[in-house]
Amino acid sequence: MVSDRLAIETVDLWKRYDGIDALRGLDLQVPTGSICGFLGRNGAGKTTTIKVLLGMAKATRGVARLLGAPAVDAEVRRRVGFVSDEKDLYDYMTVDEIIAFTRPFFPKWRTDLEQKYRQKFELPGPRDIKDLSRGTRTKLALLLALCRSADLLILDEPTAGLDPAMAEDVLQALVGHVASEEMTVFFSSHQIAEVDQIADHIAIVDRGRMVVAGALDDLRDRFQRVQLVFADAAPEVRFHAPGVVRVTRDGRVLTVLTREREPLMTEAKALLPASIEVSPVTLKEIFLESVRTED
Amino acid sequence: MLWHKAWRETRGRFITGLLILTVLSAAKVYEYVVAQRMMPMAESVLSGAEKTPLGDAIRDAIAVQREFRGFIWYNSFRDNLTQLGVLFAVLLGCGGLLAEAKKGSALFTLSLPVTRKQLLGARVGIGLAQCFALAMVPPLVIPLLAPVVGQSFSIIDALVHGLCLFFVGALFFSLASFLSTMFGDIWRPMLIAIVIACGAVAVQLVLPELGLFRLMSGETYFRTGALPWMGFLATAVLASALLYSAAETLERRDF
Repeated sequence: MVSDRLAIETVDLWKRYDGIDALRGLDLQVPTGSICGFLGRNGAGKTTTIKVLLGMAKATRGVARLLGAPAVDAEVRRRVGFVSDEKDLYDYMTVDEIIAFTRPFFPKWRTDLEQKYRQKFELPGPRDIKDLSRGTRTKLALLLALCRSADLLILDEPTAGLDPAMAEDVLQALVGHVASEEMTVFFSSHQIAEVDQIADHIAIVDRGRMVVAGALDDLRDRFQRVQLVFADAAPEVRFHAPGVVRVTRDGRVLTVLTREREPLMTEAKALLPASIEVSPVTLKEIFLESVRTED
Repeated sequence: MLWHKAWRETRGRFITGLLILTVLSAAKVYEYVVAQRMMPMAESVLSGAEKTPLGDAIRDAIAVQREFRGFIWYNSFRDNLTQLGVLFAVLLGCGGLLAEAKKGSALFTLSLPVTRKQLLGARVGIGLAQCFALAMVPPLVIPLLAPVVGQSFSIIDALVHGLCLFFVGALFFSLASFLSTMFGDIWRPMLIAIVIACGAVAVQLVLPELGLFRLMSGETYFRTGALPWMGFLATAVLASALLYSAAETLERRDF
């Protein structure tokens, strides 16, 4: 069932390259209006997912939809902005030329934003793209994506290869843009801090499968660290409560990372610990534990 | 805008080809004067020679070149424009989305709201227009310059030879376009297309009636005045099949 509340939806999405499954039944849902950070280890399937969503690679099976339309529909890309991880553009064009080239494809092109970002990013109009630094190319690629008046912005590692100052510039521009325009942003990243900074939704993919997804606040509420301190050595115990991600035992302390606190608490209290302490976990911990459990 | 992009990607090769072919075509007009001065010497050398297939071929070549029309056909249409025409048609057909993928800009192109068929269509459209110009402009220089050396050359002849160059050139352009949907660099499509062109020369030696380069030089028209309609039709069908295969191959590709 496809919902218009979803800007991106994949159902049981599979992609096989040369006998290797890059995506293995990926179920992804990105709500309209959200800023969704797409996390995963190298080779987890992030770029493949983005390529399938944009029709650059064909799904082996399953459903992929953008803004309610099939991902292979070229017309839907009129409503989508995209910045690839390499940010490679046409080397034989100048900055002015590539902007003039891109503009006619998008009837709702925002010339006001074009002027704004040309100045803000200090883009040298007559300069050849091949002579631009990686940072300036990233800014140009971002301008070409933002001025489309897109309903959905897809960014593949937008700050990859940038120095921290340049990465911050790009993120600030992105946050500023999203604050003033109604749009959905879906971006992949290795930088958990940067995802934490701007995302309100998270999707963590590992080995081609979705392992964690949801609103970041919900995830922070759900994921908790429960520490049980015993008078003597902590017992070796196997929890049956749903949502237990990881259990570690260290002397008198048993630490449990869980996605669902309440069922665990009942089971934990039955062990009669001296004390029980519940503390929040960071996004980095959620990420690391989520991908580690798949090992 | 896709047309503009295709033009920007190929204009260097096209302009180089147009200049070289046009200059060579013009040079042959002036060369006729020099060649005519040497003709009696060549005839006297051959007059006492034995009758062998090679000798006959040389005698035929000399006989054909006594007149301006024959000289131009033998040296331009049958030689320079045919060989270099194939080379530039292949060069124009090389490149495209796969070559872009190697440079990294293909993802930007594929994020535009256009289909792969539209991308290929623009490139093929521009490429065929360039092939047409490469086939037509150099021959049309000949009737323009012929009066300078006291000769004349029919514009109709120039147009017909231009058409012959175009049809076979378009076939090699289509072959290179198809190969470019299979290989990400421009070298392999170019080399394979040139090897196939050499194969076509070998086929022509054994089966002259299937000679692509005979068709390209307009030999039938030169010798009999008849247009090679069947040749035109056959090359058009083959070129269309190659372009269709290119579109299908590109459609299935992952980037």
